[in-house]
Amino acid sequence: MIPELNYAPFVWSSYGVFAAVCAWQFLAPLIRRRRLTRQIREQLEEERAAAAVGRPAPRS
Amino acid sequence: MIWSTLKLWFHKLGSPPIFSVFARRVAPWLWAAFFACTLYGVYLALYVAPPDYQQSDSARILYIHVPAAWQAMLAYVIMAVLAAIALIWRIRTAEIMAMAAAPIGAALTLICLVTGSLWGKPMWGTWWEWDARLTSMLVLLFIYVGIMALYAAYDDPRKGARVASVLVIAGLVNLPIIHFSVEWWTTLHQGQTIRIFGESKMDPSMIPPLIWTTLGTKFLFGAALLDRARNLLLAQDQHKAWVRRELAPALDDRKQPA
Repeated sequence: MIPELNYAPFVWSSYGVFAAVCAWQFLAPLIRRRRLTRQIREQLEEERAAAAVGRPAPRS
Repeated sequence: MIWSTLKLWFHKLGSPPIFSVFARRVAPWLWAAFFACTLYGVYLALYVAPPDYQQSDSARILYIHVPAAWQAMLAYVIMAVLAAIALIWRIRTAEIMAMAAAPIGAALTLICLVTGSLWGKPMWGTWWEWDARLTSMLVLLFIYVGIMALYAAYDDPRKGARVASVLVIAGLVNLPIIHFSVEWWTTLHQGQTIRIFGESKMDPSMIPPLIWTTLGTKFLFGAALLDRARNLLLAQDQHKAWVRRELAPALDDRKQPA
């Protein structure tokens, strides 16, 4: 049940901004780590493929 | 005994692989504590706490505005201590943690400014006033953004962190200005109503939600700091064996003892 408040648009907007910023603080590191993990996996796969055909491993 | 244990932990956490494992294990608990404290605090703030006798329900904004302001300032103090450690002892983990603290501090300052503005409009009749407290808080946001920009401007992250650490220390001067602005100048912003030592002017019924949301912001800062610092370490050391072992263990052939 949503409480009926005076100045409701101001109160709800404030709590909305708070929730959005907190959600971003939670999600941003997760997204960054996923991207980083994918990047490292791709590098390792490239290094493996290069080692299999006997050429030097690419270094990004 | 306690001192030697702390010293041991301090040295151990200076090692990137150990810090990474520590952050990976501790951060989820801090996030859980953040969600629990904040949800309960917000429930108390919106459903249980009484409306203010003058400001009515608009005063409920204080339960997020004040904790965000406190934590934005505390985050700066923590960042300055880490920056000092980084400059004096050249500990890379401290450098990285100091730099990781800046975006979180900036986010908390932004919450404080936006919620303050949303509170100011119905109570003061204006979204913004160039008042000493508001302006010094805006300066804090600019300092945080400046630190982030300076750190990002260098190709060498260690050099960037050292230069940005000097700015962090210099920016400390803004904290007493924020705190005493309501005493030093005549401001539209209200004076101090909550005191740790001494009598608070706030009604006791308004204290519990404030305590819970304040605790929530502390846990938010701790959790986000560990997550962000770990990411920075992983990105900087991505060609090192310990990162590959940790992020892609199935693909890494170069197994080494931990």
